[in-house]
Amino acid sequence: MSADELLGVLDRIVDRARADEGVEAFGLDETETTVKAHDGAVESLSSARRRGVGIRVVSDRRVGYCYTVDLSDDALAAALDEARDNASVGTPDDGNVLPGPRPVDDFDEDQLYDAAVERVTPDEKVEAAIAVEQATRGGGRHITGTDAARYGDSVRIAAIASSTGVRADYRRSDAYLLVEALAGRDGSTTSALGLSMGRSLAELDTDATAAEAVDRATRLLGGTAPSTARLPVVFDPFVTASFLGLVAGGLTAEAVQRGRSLFAGKVGEQLAPSFVQLVDDGRLVGGPAAAPWDGEGTPTQRTVLLEDGVLRGYLHHVASAVRDGTSSTGNASRPSYSAPPGLSPTNFYIEPGTTSPAGLIADIDTGFYCQQVMGLHSGANPITGDFSVGAAGVMIRDGVFAEAVREATIAGSIPQMLEQLIAVGDDLRFLPFGGAMGGATLVVDGMTLAGGAQGDA
Amino acid sequence: MTLPELDDADVRAILDAALSSGGQFADLYVEQRRSRSVGVDDQRVEDLVTGLDRGGGVRVIADGRTAYAFTNVLTREALIDAARTAAAGIDGRDRATIADLRTVQPPYSHPARRDPAELDGPGMADIVRRIDEAARDVDGAVRQVGATYGDTTQDVLLVNSEGHRHTEHRVRTRLAARVVAARDDVVQTGLEAPGAAAGLELLDEHPPDQVGRRAAERAVLMLDSRPAPAEDMTVVLAPGSGGVLFHEACGHGMEADIVAKGASVYQGRRGDKIGSDLISGVDDATIANAWGSFGFDDEGTPAQRTVLFDRGVCTDYMTDRLRADELGLARSGNARRQSYAHLPIPRMTNTYILPGDDDPDEIVRAVRRGLFCDQLGGGQVDPASGDFVFGVAVAWLIEDGELTHPVRGANLVGDGPSILARVDAVGTDFDVREGICGKDGQGVPAGLGNPTVRISRITVGGTGA
Repeated sequence: MSADELLGVLDRIVDRARADEGVEAFGLDETETTVKAHDGAVESLSSARRRGVGIRVVSDRRVGYCYTVDLSDDALAAALDEARDNASVGTPDDGNVLPGPRPVDDFDEDQLYDAAVERVTPDEKVEAAIAVEQATRGGGRHITGTDAARYGDSVRIAAIASSTGVRADYRRSDAYLLVEALAGRDGSTTSALGLSMGRSLAELDTDATAAEAVDRATRLLGGTAPSTARLPVVFDPFVTASFLGLVAGGLTAEAVQRGRSLFAGKVGEQLAPSFVQLVDDGRLVGGPAAAPWDGEGTPTQRTVLLEDGVLRGYLHHVASAVRDGTSSTGNASRPSYSAPPGLSPTNFYIEPGTTSPAGLIADIDTGFYCQQVMGLHSGANPITGDFSVGAAGVMIRDGVFAEAVREATIAGSIPQMLEQLIAVGDDLRFLPFGGAMGGATLVVDGMTLAGGAQGDA
Repeated sequence: MTLPELDDADVRAILDAALSSGGQFADLYVEQRRSRSVGVDDQRVEDLVTGLDRGGGVRVIADGRTAYAFTNVLTREALIDAARTAAAGIDGRDRATIADLRTVQPPYSHPARRDPAELDGPGMADIVRRIDEAARDVDGAVRQVGATYGDTTQDVLLVNSEGHRHTEHRVRTRLAARVVAARDDVVQTGLEAPGAAAGLELLDEHPPDQVGRRAAERAVLMLDSRPAPAEDMTVVLAPGSGGVLFHEACGHGMEADIVAKGASVYQGRRGDKIGSDLISGVDDATIANAWGSFGFDDEGTPAQRTVLFDRGVCTDYMTDRLRADELGLARSGNARRQSYAHLPIPRMTNTYILPGDDDPDEIVRAVRRGLFCDQLGGGQVDPASGDFVFGVAVAWLIEDGELTHPVRGANLVGDGPSILARVDAVGTDFDVREGICGKDGQGVPAGLGNPTVRISRITVGGTGA
């Protein structure tokens, strides 16, 4: 279905709006392919085509939602009626309003979509998945296998129309290579991911993806539980991205308004050293979550959350903005047609520094390079930011990697981590952990690393 | 509503297109799902969402390779188109012939005694309001209550080139309450989230006000908690609380796809004594109306009870059709898929540690110093090494055989085989919890169950001195 056809469907819904209600229709048409490879051959190839619409009705400050994949006129009319019924049940709230149109300026939509993605043949997709699997498998004598070797791509056409005058569409392509390397030595097995993302196959780097997985898995071999110590911890970009997912969740206005944010009431406070900038930018065209407008048709924007270490504000969609008497930052999220708009970060990242990861590590006498955390989203209290998570990685001694570490935990809190940041690496990259999180190597001073061995903690 | 009409001629045409490039097996999975959910958050009833999703997928297998294509346009033409797309991903030599179609009845059924459709929108809203009010009544320290009610009614049609035609009507209903309590600088959360492969009778067994109260009591209890110690300790898992640990640390490694890839610590260990004599565990999709139960799995294999560990011995892996063939094992009925948009993969259903002979009170009384875990948070496991970490949401310190005070911020770190070996007491009691298990980007309902279980030593990572 083309964007125009999809908009046509949405128009037919919105045209039925009554004078005393607001009606918004959001449509998606997605095609995607995923190829998994194993042992040098295709394990599975999956291709998909999916479309559907979600209808939001606002009346008397109440909101209701219904979705359907049946796009016949009768089914759409029935879904609209159901959304109206659903609206009658909700609690009235001033935040329940549909936004009017706002122009999307200075956004280069051509950079969201690479037509080459639609010219990649099934055979080429298969080759890409096999190539990354084979390159990983050939990554050295300790590599025992691979898991989850895959190539995937998708084209997403999104459209929105509303009785308040919003009418827009966009098209975005995405492609990725992902592989998990398995490494083994002396009965111990480790695994680690390599990942490459772009707008089409041509932007992906097979060798770098494989090498990343191999290096990260091999490095962990022979790990043992460390003795407990307080020391500087270096987070690799994957781990940083995981932590940023937790931070970004606390920076949504909804979490703040509902008493679930560790950043509540802290606007204007210095939360991190002045070299720290945390940014959400839905317009960053290289970012995986880039889009011209958000899930309510509001233009996306660059929002600086931590500026020189000082908290400047929160992320908003329309409802949270109305409650706070401010305007939406374009962070209404819409992963599918089947859910009403939520409030999420877009491309959320820490601005990179100028020192390479190797340079940061070289400056550390004794430290822990943390490459994996486990249980972050269960082991962390999102309200206080306290966490205690499983960790694996490598000790740093005299500026170089030493013995591997497993069955360790690191404990601390998000506020303390932000305060104790001592450096950000120059290796910013986006990773799909908890959204599109831009992680870089971080050095955090004075964290507690604990192992199974009895320590003095 | 029912599935769109597809007669035998339609189905044969779709399967025929699927096999056209030499496939050895093909199946068609068509699904329609009506979902409803409502939430209360910050005392506002919101997000009453209802909807219809449906679609069909065609799978072809040849020489161990799988090609799959799906669409949510459910016409004969669109499905034939999907079948051709799938066929294009296959280059096989032994084209299967399509057997005569015959209907196969599921060996188990899990009927909803009360159809969720009896409950209208205002009725749904009333349930979450009751959860909210009951939670707030527990203690003035309750600051926020989030609650949801949800039900799904799924109709599945599955037809394969071996001529088997299955249909199943699956109903699932769930409640959830998440409560935040705060006093001074301490903020704690409590969760209670029962569910069943059943209808509104869930509400009789788990009245909404009880669900709200339980979540609130957990949050309030934890306000008085102290930071957990970081040390190796004896750990006692309360009934229901340890199922998730068994699921993650032992269950995933027994899934045949992970085994087949050499990514499991349990690979090649069938028949080996890994755990203590006291530990037996099963995966059982046949339990009447349990959260993870069904009649047929998502490729038509009848639901089964599979023994994973029998008195410490690693017994059977959980398989789907592909991995059963690859490993030369029987099909265990563990092929599950999140929806028509996903390929079936080996997944757990209801994974239970079976009750033993020990008196639950005695199990605690014999512990000099340990941790009593009443509720675990989420966890994560690396199936290759068996290494896991679990957050502990609600726990007590055990000192000289008594639960002395609640502790927070604990997590359990270890590996699956070691904890199986260190089980030194299993109680006669039993309870279950319900969760959504994530794997390969697919979430499916998973039941978790266990009696009181004691593990002689496990690493507890905590923040306390």
